[in-house]
Amino acid sequence: MSLKRRLVVYVLLVLMVAFAVFFSISVFANTSLRLDEAQSLFQTNRDVAGMLNLVAQDVHVPFYHILLHFWQVLFGQDIFIARMLSLVFFVGTILMTYLLATYALGRRSVGLFAALLVTISPFMNWYGSEARMYTMLAFMTVLHVYFFVKVLRVGGTSNWIFWTLTAILGLYTHYFFLFVLVSEFVAMLIMRKKFAGQHPIRSIISYGAVAGLSLIPWLLYVYNLGFASNTQPALGVPSAGDLFDTYTQFIFGFQVPAVNTLIVSLWPVLVLLAFFALQRTRKKIPSEVMLFVLLATIPVLSAFIISVTIRPFYLSRYLIVALPALFIFIAWMLTRYRRWIARTVSVVLVLFIGLLFTIQVMSPNTPVKEDYKDAVQYLAQNAGPSDVVVLAAPFTIYPVEYYYKGTAKLTTQPIWNRFESGSVPAFDPAKLEFETKANVDSYQNAWLMLSYDQGYNKDLKDYYDQHYQKIGERKFSPGLSIYEYRIRYDEPLTVSDGI
Amino acid sequence: MEFLKTIQTSKLLLSLNILLSIAYFVCVVAVFPIGNLPLFIVLVASEVFHVWQVFGFIHTVWARKRTKQFDARFQPNVAVFITVCGEPADIIESTVIAAKQMKYPNFAIYILNDGKVAHRDNWQEAEQIAQRQGVTCITRSVPGGAKAGNINHAMAQTHEPYIVVFDADHEPKKQFLKETVGYFVDEKVAFVQSPQFYKNADVNQVAGGSWEQQALFFGPLLKGKDSVNSTFMCGTNMVLRRVALEEAGGMSEQSIAEDFLTSLLIHEKKWKSVYVDKVLAEGLAPEDFLSYYKQQFRWARGSLEILFSYNPLFRRGLTFAQKIQYLSSSSYYVSGIIVLINALLPLSYFFFELKPLTINTMTLALIFLPYIFVILYTLQLTSNFTYTFRALSFSLGSATIYMKALWATITRRQNAFAVTSKTRVGGNHGKLVAPHLIYIGLVVAGVAWGVMREGWSASMLSNIAWALIYIAAFAPFIAAAFERQKEEKVEVVA
Repeated sequence: MSLKRRLVVYVLLVLMVAFAVFFSISVFANTSLRLDEAQSLFQTNRDVAGMLNLVAQDVHVPFYHILLHFWQVLFGQDIFIARMLSLVFFVGTILMTYLLATYALGRRSVGLFAALLVTISPFMNWYGSEARMYTMLAFMTVLHVYFFVKVLRVGGTSNWIFWTLTAILGLYTHYFFLFVLVSEFVAMLIMRKKFAGQHPIRSIISYGAVAGLSLIPWLLYVYNLGFASNTQPALGVPSAGDLFDTYTQFIFGFQVPAVNTLIVSLWPVLVLLAFFALQRTRKKIPSEVMLFVLLATIPVLSAFIISVTIRPFYLSRYLIVALPALFIFIAWMLTRYRRWIARTVSVVLVLFIGLLFTIQVMSPNTPVKEDYKDAVQYLAQNAGPSDVVVLAAPFTIYPVEYYYKGTAKLTTQPIWNRFESGSVPAFDPAKLEFETKANVDSYQNAWLMLSYDQGYNKDLKDYYDQHYQKIGERKFSPGLSIYEYRIRYDEPLTVSDGI
Repeated sequence: MEFLKTIQTSKLLLSLNILLSIAYFVCVVAVFPIGNLPLFIVLVASEVFHVWQVFGFIHTVWARKRTKQFDARFQPNVAVFITVCGEPADIIESTVIAAKQMKYPNFAIYILNDGKVAHRDNWQEAEQIAQRQGVTCITRSVPGGAKAGNINHAMAQTHEPYIVVFDADHEPKKQFLKETVGYFVDEKVAFVQSPQFYKNADVNQVAGGSWEQQALFFGPLLKGKDSVNSTFMCGTNMVLRRVALEEAGGMSEQSIAEDFLTSLLIHEKKWKSVYVDKVLAEGLAPEDFLSYYKQQFRWARGSLEILFSYNPLFRRGLTFAQKIQYLSSSSYYVSGIIVLINALLPLSYFFFELKPLTINTMTLALIFLPYIFVILYTLQLTSNFTYTFRALSFSLGSATIYMKALWATITRRQNAFAVTSKTRVGGNHGKLVAPHLIYIGLVVAGVAWGVMREGWSASMLSNIAWALIYIAAFAPFIAAAFERQKEEKVEVVA
């Protein structure tokens, strides 16, 4: 590659990184703390042993939390600082996607376009500024797959060792990294004749076993704790719509149902696009394309099938492992079209993503938005010392507590003392009356803040509506509302009254 | 020749095709809730056909090894028949000259002139060419049996134990006989077929589309058929053993697809066939839409006649694999009505809100997409990625031709054998795609009607997407019908 071309590539990559950093710092980093982030902060703002204990309860693996812990020790405790760690991995994912796609498919244009898609993906931008492990998981995936392609191309013990190390790091970033290994194993079976070196299947089994065994100490630790917390939201069985939503979210971000319906309902057009991509061109189809197809589909389909048949754990953010492969595949697929078609589709795709990116940022109805910041500010301004704030679901106390500097008492329903070990108590309709009275009876007003519906928010609201006078309500973001009830009509006793 | 470089596909992938198509079929028939019953029944019928097509395709391309004997030293006497029926003299003469240049010791060339019985003005030109080129011209005076009758008539006039048939426009290459006759060392081989390659594929849309359709057939399909001794004759570029042909009663005059039916009758007698996957002759594709239309109609009509009158399933003497292959090929032309059914489903929703299944469109996508992606990939993989969108367009667009042929077959209407024109036929052929244009109009009206009724619902959007796919698929076919004739010398149809 000539110096000029190399320079153009570097400039483009720098521009992509600048775009990601700009939006992350100027737009996303100023959004409200989200529930998951509050949990991250709650878990990492203590010593390592205490942190590991909490992470184990929270059905996660600890690598990200350990990193975040020391990141905060080094740079500060603020949520903005915590989010910057995710931005680092977001930027890393952009660059690694370029490297991986270019190396695997032998075309810089594919690498650049794949990196561009990662850069402008509303999904990646969202998690690029969330203090959670998802961009780190995406980064670990591309880094690891890079070494898988190295193993495929040149073999060698050193590449297998890097493959194993990145697999261990990936497994300690998120349990769903396992699906990456499964996808690679399937790719290995299909493409075994293409692999450099001898006995690739034997190698992947032995090195994969080492990676898998490395997780055992953590699993034993979790097992010895004897419980898993109930702090994660209850998940429903996914539908086919959820499966397709995952892919549309990867590309087009989080949109309101009407826009989502518009996008996913046009799925038959995929048949046409697939046909065009499969037509003969002068360019051969690299065998590595199969790897990206598998990486883009196996994690999503596996999670879907397991969630439908065994236990629901389907969340699109867990499946971020499939995102870089999907974008690499799309970027490659466009090279199969005639040049004018490829250019047109590319421009339309980028513009459409850009439009939906803007909508995701601007619209208050974006489904994933959690505006605890404004909600809590509202409470701080309006709830007084004679009032009580009741939170449901109980674990939403984390983000509320982070912002809340007001004078009203905070409590949860079901009532939960999170400083005692154990999970969030399940909702019991028989205790509804008792717990409500215990929470609110001695206060002037009750502020019922409902978010993250675990299946009983309606019961709670109905009970409050029937037994107390509702004097106000306000919605802050999709699924986050505050209802104000008058509990008592007599003036509360104050210290001066007593004197 | 890329179309001949077919790729042996793994049996795992081929099995996956069967598995996914059955899974999709079972979901449609037994799992998804039924909507409008008549539409559901129609849909199930079309899905039965799709499963059958997938099965037929997989059976064809399933990797098998067939050992064939070949001895280049086997060089018996061969009669080379060039069938002629009023084609331009320059085309006939080129073919005769090319035939004369074949490197083979023992052959005689015969021009089989049917121009006289077909009342062509230029029928005497063939005799003049024969005289000029020093070959024999056999001119029929008594009509009957079309091309098959012409060949049978010539067989009675000649004595060579092996017969080669070329259409007037198919110029053989020098090595044609050397590459084909050696297979007859196996005494059970009745005929050897080579590809019908069109050298004028780049001339225009019609010729291009016509060839690209052919490429799939002469690539993976005939190679697959050959692996189960089911190659059938394609009318030209073929070598026949006289004894086998005589045993089958000569070229069949009962069908306008005489080559197809004769092949079946020969296979019934336990003879073998061979496909040589080398381009050994080059011919001309139809260059105008009317000629293409007539050619497709003739093939469809002939094949459907065999399906209805000589159903391969009930023919004695054929092996199971041969029954599958003949049934698969002859039933292909039923696809016309299946395309119509599938294309009309969105309209039934736009205008009447009728659906064959009351199912969430995404659930359907979950089952349908893996099925169709795997099939598309397999189709392209086996054909070395040579199956083009234009070929798909011509196949889907020809649905109206196939339906017309189906109707003619069911009503037993007589259709004369029409030789595919070797020159462009001018004139406006737009009326031949009138059904496609009407379909587009109905889609536009239907979308307007449906959106006024229920807005941009998920079902509306999915049905619009399906309708758009059909319109996109018809587009090159429609464009070909309106393609301007660039050459000045065209034969204008009154």
